[in-house]
Amino acid sequence: MTTDPAAEIDLAPHSAAFAVNPYATYAAMRALETPYYWEDANTWMLTKIADVEAVALNKTMLRNNDDYISAEDRKAQQRAINFHDMPFHEHYVQVNLLESEGATHDRLRKVVFREFTPAMIARQRDAIQTFVDGLLDELSEQDDIDFVSDFAAHVPGHIIGRVLGVPDEDAPKLRHWSEEVVRYFDPGRGNADKARAEVATKEFYEYLLDLLAIRETAPQDDLLSRLIAHRDAGQLSQDELISTAMLILMAGHGSTIDVLGSGLHSLLRFPDQHQRLRDDPALIKTAVQEMFRFESPLPYFHRFATEDTEVGGMMFPAGTRFGLLYGAANRDPVRFQHPDSFDVGRAPNRHMAFGGGGHFCLGNHLARLDMDVIFSTINARFSSVELAEATPEYKRGLSVRGPKALRIRWQRA
Amino acid sequence: MIKLTFVQADGTQVETDASPGMSVMQAAVNAGVDAIAAECGGACACGTCHCVLSQDWFGRVAAPEADEVDMLEFVIDPQPTSRLSCQVVVTEDMHGITIRVPASQV
Repeated sequence: MTTDPAAEIDLAPHSAAFAVNPYATYAAMRALETPYYWEDANTWMLTKIADVEAVALNKTMLRNNDDYISAEDRKAQQRAINFHDMPFHEHYVQVNLLESEGATHDRLRKVVFREFTPAMIARQRDAIQTFVDGLLDELSEQDDIDFVSDFAAHVPGHIIGRVLGVPDEDAPKLRHWSEEVVRYFDPGRGNADKARAEVATKEFYEYLLDLLAIRETAPQDDLLSRLIAHRDAGQLSQDELISTAMLILMAGHGSTIDVLGSGLHSLLRFPDQHQRLRDDPALIKTAVQEMFRFESPLPYFHRFATEDTEVGGMMFPAGTRFGLLYGAANRDPVRFQHPDSFDVGRAPNRHMAFGGGGHFCLGNHLARLDMDVIFSTINARFSSVELAEATPEYKRGLSVRGPKALRIRWQRA
Repeated sequence: MIKLTFVQADGTQVETDASPGMSVMQAAVNAGVDAIAAECGGACACGTCHCVLSQDWFGRVAAPEADEVDMLEFVIDPQPTSRLSCQVVVTEDMHGITIRVPASQV
């Protein structure tokens, strides 16, 4: 009797074991000849980097299939995934740059792309350095901290808020809303999460309306003021302005906190690599790339096929839902030698942590600059950093990856 | 096969054989030209596969479309003959082309 290797796979993203190590399950899925069908989510899961990249780049594979189904089918679809009866979320989160396709996506992306180019982002370096220095001044008096809640959680919201034009003191609110909304994209979401996501979206919306009113009368050198000018020039609607601002705040937030935590955890788990980076600080750029590859903070996105398509050696009909497991693709030995080794000098490192294709992460340069400044500064200011608990607990779920907390001890240089 | 030569910022040259229909970006990546980062994988969405053609070759390959022209505005040190290599499709008549690659894409 032969056994079906796919039947041996137990994909349980909300289990404790998966949070400890999703990579064993990913490797088992990747070892299958063809994509793995995950019945719970009626989704074909892709784990080989060639398949993930092919689907991400395929223009007939969309995040959103609204243009290809009737309004009735769309309603049924939203109901099936419990994305209905949440008006603010439906209006400002379910419809945005990330969820749009074709001409709408291209128009909105063009409006904001210029704000996130390497040259524009480089303008933030001094502000990031100043903020990080100040935060470390406060924390360096303590020998033992939670790197996630005491440090990482304060940085991305502050920086992306500054880019957008949100006052510094509101950064904690942004983090809260962002987490509440993002959590609801996880396949394991429930009704309690739904209610919280809707409340967060509504509060976020009202907050942005107030801030927009202020910027309308007194424009600043910030993204929000420039978005208002684009709106007034007819390049985007008021609703699109709000959903874009919300998306930028959310997208730049939780995932960067997660990868800051996992990035430091990787350095501390592999002290030889940490020492190598200390000895040669010029490796920071490849080290940051490796942090993204090794523990990709957004390991899962989906696409719909709008045509019958071959993927990974099988034919799939239009309407098929695919899961792009970037976290698995980034450990594919076909592209990465010794994929389970953390190598701060890895080059080339053509990982897919920022996705691929037309939806490629807009904020990638900002996230990498945050990480560059933070880890360079920590290495310069602290002669030793070590884990205060051997195995930090990671968040559960398929859509996010990062430690819930990271207790460390450090000593000033 | 079509011979392409990439001239890297340090002056070293990488020669490679490409097939018609693939992009110059794919040919560069396959040949290990690491300065072609091509982070989005070839969707004209990131601006990290910038290359520069000679005046002569620039006029001979198919002209860039509007999204590529928009994106070229944001690459480092754009030149009048800059292209995004993911948008340049290799054709038979490109045999012998030389393509300059900048030191860095970001």
